[in-house]
Amino acid sequence: MDNIAGTKSSLGWAVNIAVVAMVLLWIIPTVGLLVSSFRDRDAISASGWWLAPFATEQSYRARAGAEGVPDGDAFVVTGNIFDEAGATGSLSAFGVRGRAPGEFPVGTVADLGDGETLTMQANGDYEFRTPEEPDGRGQRIYFLAETPPDFTLENYDTVLGAGGMAQAFINTLTVTIPATIIPILVAAFAAYALAWMEFPLRGVLIALVVGLLVVPLQLALVPLLSFHTQTASFLNWLFDPDAIFNETSDLWVGDYEGRSFVGVWLAHTGFGLPLAIYLLRNYMVGLPRDIIENARVDGATEFQIFTKVILPLSFPALASFAIFQFLWTWNDLLVAKVFLPDGDAAMVMTRKIADDLLGSRGGDWGILAGAAFVSIAVPLLVFFTMQRYLVRGLLAGSVK
Amino acid sequence: MPPVLQGLITIVLGVGGCVGYFYLSNLVLDRFIFPAKGPNAGRNINRANMVRPWLFIFPAFAALGLYLAYPVVGSFIRSLYGRNPDEFVGLGNYMWLFSDGEFRQAVLNNILWAIVVPAGATFFGLIAAQLTDRLSWGNIAKSLIFMPMAISFVGASLIWKFVYANDADIGIVNAFRAWAFDADPIDPMQIPFWNNFFLMFILIWIQTGFAMVILSAALRGIPEETVEAAIVDGAKPLDIFFKIKVPQIMPTIVVVWTTITILVLKIFDIVYTMTGGNFGTQILPSYMFEFMFRDDGRATAVAFVIMLIVTPVMVWNIIQARKEMR
Amino acid sequence: MKNLMGGAAAIALMSGAAFAGGHLPIEPGSGDYDWTAYDEFAANTDLSGQSLSITGPWTGDEKAKFDAVVALFAEATGAEAEYSGSDSFEQDIVIAAEAGSAPNLAVFPQPGLAADMAARGQLSPLPEGTSEFVAENFAAGQSWVDLGTYANASGEDELFGMFYRVDLKSLVWYVPEAFEENDYEIPETMEELIALSDQIVEDGGTPWCIGLGSGAATGWPATDWVEDMMLRTQPPEVYDAWVANELSFDSPEVIGAIEAYGQFARNEDYVAGGGETAASTDFRDSPNGLFEVPPACYMHRQASFIPAFFPEGTEVGEDVDFFYFPAFEGQDLGSPVLGAGTLFSITNPSDTANAFIEFLKLPIAHEAWMTQGGFLTAHGGVNADLYADDALRGQAEIIQGATTFRFDGSDLMPGEIGAGAFWTGMVDYTTGASAEEVAAGIQERWDAIK
Repeated sequence: MDNIAGTKSSLGWAVNIAVVAMVLLWIIPTVGLLVSSFRDRDAISASGWWLAPFATEQSYRARAGAEGVPDGDAFVVTGNIFDEAGATGSLSAFGVRGRAPGEFPVGTVADLGDGETLTMQANGDYEFRTPEEPDGRGQRIYFLAETPPDFTLENYDTVLGAGGMAQAFINTLTVTIPATIIPILVAAFAAYALAWMEFPLRGVLIALVVGLLVVPLQLALVPLLSFHTQTASFLNWLFDPDAIFNETSDLWVGDYEGRSFVGVWLAHTGFGLPLAIYLLRNYMVGLPRDIIENARVDGATEFQIFTKVILPLSFPALASFAIFQFLWTWNDLLVAKVFLPDGDAAMVMTRKIADDLLGSRGGDWGILAGAAFVSIAVPLLVFFTMQRYLVRGLLAGSVK
Repeated sequence: MPPVLQGLITIVLGVGGCVGYFYLSNLVLDRFIFPAKGPNAGRNINRANMVRPWLFIFPAFAALGLYLAYPVVGSFIRSLYGRNPDEFVGLGNYMWLFSDGEFRQAVLNNILWAIVVPAGATFFGLIAAQLTDRLSWGNIAKSLIFMPMAISFVGASLIWKFVYANDADIGIVNAFRAWAFDADPIDPMQIPFWNNFFLMFILIWIQTGFAMVILSAALRGIPEETVEAAIVDGAKPLDIFFKIKVPQIMPTIVVVWTTITILVLKIFDIVYTMTGGNFGTQILPSYMFEFMFRDDGRATAVAFVIMLIVTPVMVWNIIQARKEMR
Repeated sequence: MKNLMGGAAAIALMSGAAFAGGHLPIEPGSGDYDWTAYDEFAANTDLSGQSLSITGPWTGDEKAKFDAVVALFAEATGAEAEYSGSDSFEQDIVIAAEAGSAPNLAVFPQPGLAADMAARGQLSPLPEGTSEFVAENFAAGQSWVDLGTYANASGEDELFGMFYRVDLKSLVWYVPEAFEENDYEIPETMEELIALSDQIVEDGGTPWCIGLGSGAATGWPATDWVEDMMLRTQPPEVYDAWVANELSFDSPEVIGAIEAYGQFARNEDYVAGGGETAASTDFRDSPNGLFEVPPACYMHRQASFIPAFFPEGTEVGEDVDFFYFPAFEGQDLGSPVLGAGTLFSITNPSDTANAFIEFLKLPIAHEAWMTQGGFLTAHGGVNADLYADDALRGQAEIIQGATTFRFDGSDLMPGEIGAGAFWTGMVDYTTGASAEEVAAGIQERWDAIK
């Protein structure tokens, strides 16, 4: 294919540059978040992420020590301000009022009034002279310093160290894997029937699938939840001798719960099906008619045609949809929240991050960024290992 | 039992049950109910083939009926009742909605979203698919453009806060303005009208990967002869792209466009987390969320207005599907 | 199916024994706590083998603190008690109640939702005698009873909520050193506060940091401002009438309060970055301006919970302090205080749930969190020495010294207003809309839901 469509070398350059520009535009926002996830909260608000690899001038506040050594009729406090402030860098100016943190250049002797003086060196050494013995807290010092870039893994530590994160990871997998495979299986059979089998009402059913594509998920949540609850209650009444009748809710309460993993798989299956059937049917309709006709002539049953011919041929489409469904279920918060029970035992990662971690760490952008990257790590891994199928891709519809 | 093991067992049971249904139901049909042997073999095969499509589609349509069709009907009935589920208000909720200024604005914004986002994502996706097609590093480029698809909507909103933030030390847009024009920081989320487009761009950014992947496959499916013939005729590359290639993949473009349109009408996360619907950026799904769990009558009424907006796309798809079948 | 669903239930049970075998954060019998009542409660209550589930809005650090309180209950009764928190508690509890899987107890961050659920029959009334207890033992007791009393499904008033943790809203946070360096005095009256703000502007500084951003809840910090201003410009009866919408939202009294807020928020000199920036700054980020060098602002009006969002290692009382958001000297309205609180309600009745409500009446249930910090209580029987720091003691004194105490009005209004139209209206106002227009819009919304 490389020689068609008139790719001349002049155009080749233009194409390369255009793609580079587009790729840059597409990844810069994500890079910003990635860089920020390695910076602490103060650094994020102090300078842009694009400046993170460079030394920046930052202002600090710190205190001199409180221990004075008598020297003549004055007391002298000495020390290193970087130790006090827990920072590193190269000091450029200092001051004693927040409004003017860089009032005095480095190396000068600042007269603070009342006979007090302060001198600071670039390496942070200071000498504070005061006529009275220092008591209580030391002298407040502000300073400007060139600070080397500082990256930290602390955000990831916080996110991954949060109680129950490992359990949440496993719960997410427990939700996503069946919720990906079940709808694909179910949809593939239905898509094949709708594409290649003759039966009454076929057109109506196709129209129905397309119509159901637009149903907003939010609409279905509460009715389905009460359906699940009533089913569980019915099962309790039927099978569970220990079930108790709860008069306030008119339900049998027992071993079966309205909110469970089974419920969440079924819900994801229901919600994912219209798109799965729509895309897979469009793909299967495009498969060569001869292959299927030949197989029928050879005496293969429809079930055999489906498993031996259609499934292998549709593999790229199945894989592509699998990726989309996996990404969707992995990133889902709403369905998990409604259909899974509360509490750590069934908490998925998105919920752990959104409801548990962010609630207590709301304003902390570094942790938010870390959490975002933790939650996209697996989808990215899946994407990069599966992407060759994607590129072969969903040959949709009438591409014959 | 450790949770890993429990997870594994549940996965095996769930998936196994599903495979088991298809295998066993076909087995039962072919071996026991209508066996393809004995005196009635031929008639039995025909009968089995009349039943089989229903076996194939049963699980799918049972799930669709229960999880989508039933709630739609139930919700429509609910939308005729007021805040109190016992109080019948007829079309009162709908009337109230149309008298509400915020709702009218949400409808207008939503129509804008439903046009701009699918158009933008399909356009960029098509360009990306075509340009990366013949590059040596095309697959890497595709992967990078696809990457936003892997990010949750909430994660995406966070990412774009680092772009749009009203602070030259956090948001790259304002940093660029400060660097290039020495301008004061502005809040892109508060620029009337245009803020909608800044929000839409986030979804375009996410969905371009989807469009690209599908369109790229379609472009590769174009028979080489048609393109080669055009080259022989001396057609220019742009003409080949727009006059030869695009018309041939039109059905795929329709699929992509439809899928993204439908997605647009369901997504509330971006607006909800970026502006909370303030500054004139309200859209229907996030407007609906304001009523969810408080006044289900109004929430469901909004949902039906959303479905109304997509009806033209839906009808068009059904017509398209009917054409294919002939 | 049985296996699958049973499996999920088993998983849920496994995490139940949160504190079983662990050490109690507070050892019974130690410290200056009130152990006599606790021991008596423990002797009279045996719930071994029973379980109790509680959900609420506290997560992270706050959850850890409350877990210590729950552990004391478990120790006393032998019941297995578990608390789980969620940042979107308001949605979760509604979903759980609809699903018939509500926990035994729920901790509501605002009374409005509890009242809604009570009216739908999803709450059970608190054990008998609770309202008498609250009225007698809580500071301004009857007002807490009134705030926890709602109509049930058949329209009769019953006590559904018991307040457990109180937030104080009328506070202004500042950095004492920044005040010292510039010789600023803590203002005693609103007139002085305005004069101080002008002084700061004159000195080349910016007096206020305001941040209204809060995702979907953007705008709520402004409603607190307006409520505080309402209490400082109008008598409490007018405030009550406004909250109940007996006084129209677009009446001159309300517009006056909105504009009193605007006098601060819409003054480009007063607010770091001006009103537009205020509307988009996250409320959690906005106090950071106090700690910048040079300071981006000198004062920040926010409730008692805000220290949780100060930079790490900031010590309240040393690095940062607060003063009472003062009243106008010109208006003879005393010293009004705006507050809020979380309340316990029974969402799934059981003996353990009732026992926990009884437990909350013991001083120890409050003291156990007081010592851990970040907790104020209206319970009069607690040992105030147990407050973790002077700041909390100071806040407790502000509550005691209030001539008027009013609950956060937006929490009492219907959800569409107090957690909707009022929020967005304040965002519009802060970014330039006129007060009349905004107030009329909110009133229109209110009329629509009546």
